[in-house]
Amino acid sequence: MAKSLLLISRQAPWSGPGAREALDIALAGGAFDLPLAMLFLDDGVLQLTQAQQPAQLQQKDLTANLQALPMFGVEALYACNRSLFERGVDSGALNLPVELLDEHGLSALLQRYDLVITL
Amino acid sequence: MNTLHLLSHSPFTDSRLSSCLRLLSIHDGILLSGDAVYALQAGTAQRQALELMPDGIALFALEEDLLARAIGDVPARVRCLDYPAFVELTLRYAKVNSWL
Amino acid sequence: MKFAIALFAPPHAPSARRALRFAQAVLAGGHEITRLFFYQDGVHSGSHNVVTPQDELDLSAEWREFVREQQLDGVICIAAALRRGVLSSEEAERHSRPAANLAPDWELSGLGQLHEAMQLADRTICFGGH
Repeated sequence: MAKSLLLISRQAPWSGPGAREALDIALAGGAFDLPLAMLFLDDGVLQLTQAQQPAQLQQKDLTANLQALPMFGVEALYACNRSLFERGVDSGALNLPVELLDEHGLSALLQRYDLVITL
Repeated sequence: MNTLHLLSHSPFTDSRLSSCLRLLSIHDGILLSGDAVYALQAGTAQRQALELMPDGIALFALEEDLLARAIGDVPARVRCLDYPAFVELTLRYAKVNSWL
Repeated sequence: MKFAIALFAPPHAPSARRALRFAQAVLAGGHEITRLFFYQDGVHSGSHNVVTPQDELDLSAEWREFVREQQLDGVICIAAALRRGVLSSEEAERHSRPAANLAPDWELSGLGQLHEAMQLADRTICFGGH
């Protein structure tokens, strides 16, 4: 049975390749049909805001790539409630269907996975 | 499945330690390496937070990093490790989560 | 026990040295290394072109020797490497770049190799950040 992987993405979307490179690990794993989940934590939740304009920074559309996750079989998507709140992000207006977790939910999530990478 | 958390950033300018503390489960472990050993600096809120963690959470530090930074006075609960001990420690936890 | 070791930091980062010392201790402890996988800025640790003063630690040289002497599977993520200008001679030619700087001990490949290593190993340890 395949080992499951939790990817924790903590980088803001336009702070360098971190957000994109975390996503690439998820997409590659999905392409191999591995059981994967992604958690957006700390500045990682900033990837989830709507109406971003990456073209202003001559960057590729991260939102579109995040939205491709379910197509690659990665449907277990989570965000830290507190991280959203601290950053003034409206949890009702996100660009991705994520389950919101409090601290108890976060530790329980981490426990369930065989592998974890926190980028 | 318990997790060994590996930290390597200074806790004063960085949120990794505080985020890690919020995600911990009761039998997890924390290994401080690199600048994360500064969390053991006497008189800091970070050291206090680590000392207040439940007993079930084991606390480790990479010895070379403590010595390099002249951090001599560490809480009794901290186990200091060399690399062979670090390797064996990773086998005592189901997985290792490095806060990159 | 089998270890997969991933490195996300460049050779001047303390975590890159810790990763090597850990890897050495893994073998010294009688365990195996399934694969080394270098990603993000870790690809720079595969560069053949890093020059350090004689009296300083030459970590990329140490990594090369380690991979060579222990005959390890050392993989560098091709996408991350290209983006950061770490090129094998094939890639330099393919993209018409003037120079190759990837040491021959390393193989350029995709993230699938990281996933495979994580599936095969008993433990996966990542090193990076500072």
